[in-house]
Amino acid sequence: MMGQLLHTFLTGSFSLLLRVFLIVIPIMVVLEVFEGTPAFRRVVRGWAVIVRRVGLDERSAAPTLVGFLFGLAYGGGVIVRNIRRHDLPRRQVFIMCVFLSMVHAIVEDSLVFLALIPFSLMALFWIVVYRIAWAALVTLALTAVAGFVVRRARR
Amino acid sequence: MHEPPTISLKERLLGDLRTGLRAGLVTFWELARVMVPAYGITLVLQYVGAIAWMARAARPLMSLLGLPGDAALPLVVGYVLNIYAAVGSMRALHLSAPQVIVLALAILIGHNLIVEGAVLQRSGMNAFAFGTLRVIAGLVAAALAHLFMGFF
Repeated sequence: MMGQLLHTFLTGSFSLLLRVFLIVIPIMVVLEVFEGTPAFRRVVRGWAVIVRRVGLDERSAAPTLVGFLFGLAYGGGVIVRNIRRHDLPRRQVFIMCVFLSMVHAIVEDSLVFLALIPFSLMALFWIVVYRIAWAALVTLALTAVAGFVVRRARR
Repeated sequence: MHEPPTISLKERLLGDLRTGLRAGLVTFWELARVMVPAYGITLVLQYVGAIAWMARAARPLMSLLGLPGDAALPLVVGYVLNIYAAVGSMRALHLSAPQVIVLALAILIGHNLIVEGAVLQRSGMNAFAFGTLRVIAGLVAAALAHLFMGFF
């Protein structure tokens, strides 16, 4: 029984690490190579226009885009990288983490559940559109609450 | 345009490639060292029967979402393990499409809480607070969806 647990842990860890490795390395290389290019900046600026609505500025656009598309762990990886490089304010990190904890890996995670039922626009609406709107709402509400608490604490 | 004329494109590309690889390896290591122990904890929780116990405790909540009590199992499996495991245990239930959507919303918002919580903790956030937030926000989103679906 215990041996079975250890076996699951070892094989599971290996496939987890392999998966993270195969996703993280390309993301980081692509970011590094294209970060300075006009095309990349255009994509980031376009995304920044959208996430500005939940209180995120242009510095947070790239990590949120990575998390939104690929998953929380990968977005978190880019957040940690950017904190180290150019000192992201804690408020921005908080907003990113709330937003990404509500919605991430938008394509993969949504498809996993959409595959369970016959396709309909209604299902797509609830699983994708409603979830993103809910994430934005929760992010705005919590940012307001956190801002209030921080201001109260400083007084 | 943005590179000094003394450095060729090829050299710049190779430099970026090297920096990217290094950043990738550093990030990989950072994720690995929090994700693997967290994954170990999820396995132990499963091994000692904590998932089944929590699912039994969550059964009464399911009626708020218009779901059978059995739906608590995929929900808790999603919280502790991940969405793939949750979908696996959902297949055993016979849920209608609206029920699948409601349950999916709760699981999509809150899942893999221990491993992803470890990553959030690494970004300087409180993993426990974020786990609680995701469970509550997911259940509320699902309950609202259940409520509103009747109108469409």
